[in-house]
Amino acid sequence: MKSSASPPDHPGSTSGPGTTPTKPGAVTGWLKRLFRLPWAGAIAAIIVLLAIDLMADSSYLAVSYNSSTGHLVGNLIDIMRAAAPVLMIATGMTLVIATAGIDLSVGSVMAAAGAVSMEFLSNNQNAASASAALSALALALALGTVLGLANGLLVTAVGLQPFISTLVMMLAARGLAKVITGGQNARATSEPFRFIANGYVLGLPVVFLIALVIAASVALVCRRTALGMMIEAVGLNPRAARLAGLRSRGLILTTYVVSGLLAAIAGVFATASVMVVDVSNTGYLMEMDAILAVVIGGTSLAGGKFSLGGAAAGALLIATLDKTVLFLGVPASATPAFKAAVIIALCLLQSQRARSWLASIKASRRSRADQTEAVAA
Amino acid sequence: MKKTCLAIAALALAVSLTACGEDQGTSSGGDPTTGGGGDELITVGFVAVGPEGAWRQANEQNMQDTFTKEAGFDLKYAPATNLDQKSQIDAFTSFVDEGVDVILLSATEGSGWEASLERAQEAEIPVILIDRGIEPDRTDLYVTRIAPDNVVVAKGVAEWAVSQCGDSCNYFTLEGPAGVSVVNERNTGWDEVASANPQLKKVGAQTANWSTDEAKSVFETVLKSNSNNIQIVFAQNDEMGLGAVQAVEEAGLTPGVDVKIATIDGTENALKALADGKLSFVAEYNPLFGETALDVVRKALAGEAVESYIIVPSTTFDSPEAAAAALPERKY
Repeated sequence: MKSSASPPDHPGSTSGPGTTPTKPGAVTGWLKRLFRLPWAGAIAAIIVLLAIDLMADSSYLAVSYNSSTGHLVGNLIDIMRAAAPVLMIATGMTLVIATAGIDLSVGSVMAAAGAVSMEFLSNNQNAASASAALSALALALALGTVLGLANGLLVTAVGLQPFISTLVMMLAARGLAKVITGGQNARATSEPFRFIANGYVLGLPVVFLIALVIAASVALVCRRTALGMMIEAVGLNPRAARLAGLRSRGLILTTYVVSGLLAAIAGVFATASVMVVDVSNTGYLMEMDAILAVVIGGTSLAGGKFSLGGAAAGALLIATLDKTVLFLGVPASATPAFKAAVIIALCLLQSQRARSWLASIKASRRSRADQTEAVAA
Repeated sequence: MKKTCLAIAALALAVSLTACGEDQGTSSGGDPTTGGGGDELITVGFVAVGPEGAWRQANEQNMQDTFTKEAGFDLKYAPATNLDQKSQIDAFTSFVDEGVDVILLSATEGSGWEASLERAQEAEIPVILIDRGIEPDRTDLYVTRIAPDNVVVAKGVAEWAVSQCGDSCNYFTLEGPAGVSVVNERNTGWDEVASANPQLKKVGAQTANWSTDEAKSVFETVLKSNSNNIQIVFAQNDEMGLGAVQAVEEAGLTPGVDVKIATIDGTENALKALADGKLSFVAEYNPLFGETALDVVRKALAGEAVESYIIVPSTTFDSPEAAAAALPERKY
């Protein structure tokens, strides 16, 4: 990052035209700052993917109004809906990773939360009522919180490695989901519950609005209070943080609880969409999507600095990528390879070394150009 | 820290050991003394798929209800963890090491079974394939495969599609995971008929991993990328078909009128949807063949010859009325 800022300061090269480029300099400076955002790569990748879709079909970005249903319809709307669960778990994962931890259990917690709500609704006489739907939602959220709390206690009170404790929870929570439904895929009918994932408010999918509000409020709480900085401090050096008077354990515990709670919300989104919980498939490998979203968003797995905006951009990218693969009709067998290629390209784009290498090429080219200019003068 | 870690590991180990102990305790009689003759229980290791959908649930429940102690069997049920082949191979190997009398195998994936099957053969344990086949299909490695014929069932669906198609129509296939024998066979059956009927135009095929959730997401995008111009959906299982129904409804179209969805399996939920007119065609893939399996196990142990492929008969439902009539007796 620093190296890309240094070339204009080279002595000698700025002497002549130094005064004139102030105005374009402001614009390029702004662009440069944008480029230096940790999640610029994610945004760029989303734009590239949408451009590819546009090339395949010029009306890809069109959002139309369906007068019979009163919703907005379009691929962008589908991407928003697909991004909602990933956005939830990526937000929780960001906080956990910022404390130098990891939460591998989010996918399984999704299944467990979905299972408890579906099982409750399928055994409820007035499942159609709003109160039943709310109880199912509350049950799911409570279960997610409890599982998150268990993760947090294993990490803080017992002192297990986060990788191990959440790996155990990953197996345990999916097992729990199977126990709750008796090993079957449970299904239920409840219009109010279905509304959470399929409803529309002001033409926009309600699920995306909920996800956005939750993610934004988490970001607000972290950034408008000292909480975010305290989490970063714990992630950078827990001992130093404790000596500085922070309650590291409490902070770490909180991040796991939040992660569990957000995973439960994602589980409700995923199951309410079709009103079925698939105990072996719901949330399966979603922890990978969440970690990817976080990393793409520029948060380091080593802990410390984190970017919730980046995680949101990463979540949107993953949804865009999934939908693009489907839209282009990439053969099912080639889908994982296609996704991997996109993600590797993105990581290369973000790697410090690859960037400074690119910058050095640019700088050497510029200095060569300057030299030839000087010779000509 | 290390000590607490160790203590917990030890605790976990102890718990899992007692769990195993209990398991063996309840399955009395399945001890080293094999033999099969006399009053001894015959131990049967069932390497199963586990939770996957209503069809699988019915099939595996039926197996467990058939191979009971009263019938003279001790069935050890080992479902895969999350449809993972590795866990199945582990279960298979431990059944061979244990020295069970017979192994029933429903493979989550078709390929990669040769080594395990050869081990069973060396140990002289007959293996019977339940539903899912293996690839390459080496009939010398197993006694027989008992399954409804996927190729025939899929052909039936394709013939129905031809009858609904008229002069020209577009269709889309929702497949199970790539590499599973069922998927290949259902594709083979469908393609045999579809290739002979050029009016059936293939728009594409995608996997939705047998899941309702994924099928909905896949099909909503497929509808958009084809400007809703799809008339027929071939969903290779009921769950995916039900997901496609939701995608069609959400696109503002009417399932059964604008888009006709055909599924294979014939679970209760699918028949309900057919009775409601949401699905248009359901081909049954009969899961209840425990009796046939029991018969084959007895023959195999007695050393009698068995055909290498036993087809279980299945039916089809092509109207809401047919579905409504069959619903009260549906067991799965």
